Amino acid sequence: MNFKNFVIEHKQAFLVILVAIILSPLFALAADAVGYSEPLEKSAEHLGAEESPIYSGILPDYSVPGIDSPIGTFLAGLVGSIVTLIIMLGVTMAIKGRRN
Amino acid sequence: MHIPDGFLDMNIALVYYVLSAIVIGTCIYKIKKDGIDEKRVPIAGLVAAGIFAAQMLNWPIPGGTSAHFVGGAVAAIILGPFLGCIAMVSVVSIQALVFGDGGITALGTNLFSMAIVDVFVAYYIYKFLSKKNTKIAAFVAGWIGITLGAINTGIATGLSSTFQYSISTTVPVMGIWHGALGIIEGLITVAIISYIEKNRGDILYISDKAKNNPRGGKR
Repeated sequence: MNFKNFVIEHKQAFLVILVAIILSPLFALAADAVGYSEPLEKSAEHLGAEESPIYSGILPDYSVPGIDSPIGTFLAGLVGSIVTLIIMLGVTMAIKGRRN
Repeated sequence: MHIPDGFLDMNIALVYYVLSAIVIGTCIYKIKKDGIDEKRVPIAGLVAAGIFAAQMLNWPIPGGTSAHFVGGAVAAIILGPFLGCIAMVSVVSIQALVFGDGGITALGTNLFSMAIVDVFVAYYIYKFLSKKNTKIAAFVAGWIGITLGAINTGIATGLSSTFQYSISTTVPVMGIWHGALGIIEGLITVAIISYIEKNRGDILYISDKAKNNPRGGKR
């Protein structure tokens, strides 16, 4: 598979993903502003359940350690999307079998 | 909907690891057996990457209680249930391993909610309803898929000691909230699927399958 052809052939999909990544810092700021919290957190709070983190990840909570939050969010989104693309391409190639 | 470490009892976490491993193993077996057309490989990669990016967009709903797009239905409708499941496995595993979103001990459970329940429920709803109307089918698939995925999260936490074994609280909280917020998931799903149907209908799993296996059997 030729990478350049891959991008050209699927440029719309790449563009949509890029737009989502570019927008992600705005959504992160807006979510902070409204006090974003998921139903699972409500349920945990109500019943007194607490997290006990054992691993915070390489880019904890979609941020890059040491980089200001909006740029960190953007970079985390970029890295995450590229890693996901590569992993899923690799996994699919590995398990795709042979169609005949 | 991503359960962090500390929320689940170890026996519950372990049971879900085993269940997820069995289903994921079966998906890989089915994919290898049926085969995937070479041209669908890049689509699988792009669907997974797109779902990862879309999951970063937390809906800023005033009042606080909110959610974000999960995408099991989108994966299922474009890639089919087996490869769709694998795409969601990639997304949810990367979120846990790289970003610490969802616990390591809870990964089996989170995979079961988002890569298995959401994907398979959405796939069969879409398959059934799309004979009548593909737009309604995509909406309901996105909506009910995420709601049942969230109910699974409610079951797993409600069976754990940290949640005081209050399954009668956790299931309604997850089901009702995600049932309401799931309308947004349904709307995003129908927007994405309608756009693809209009411009590149050939890449959707059901039309691809129909084309390659006109009698529903093997070529």
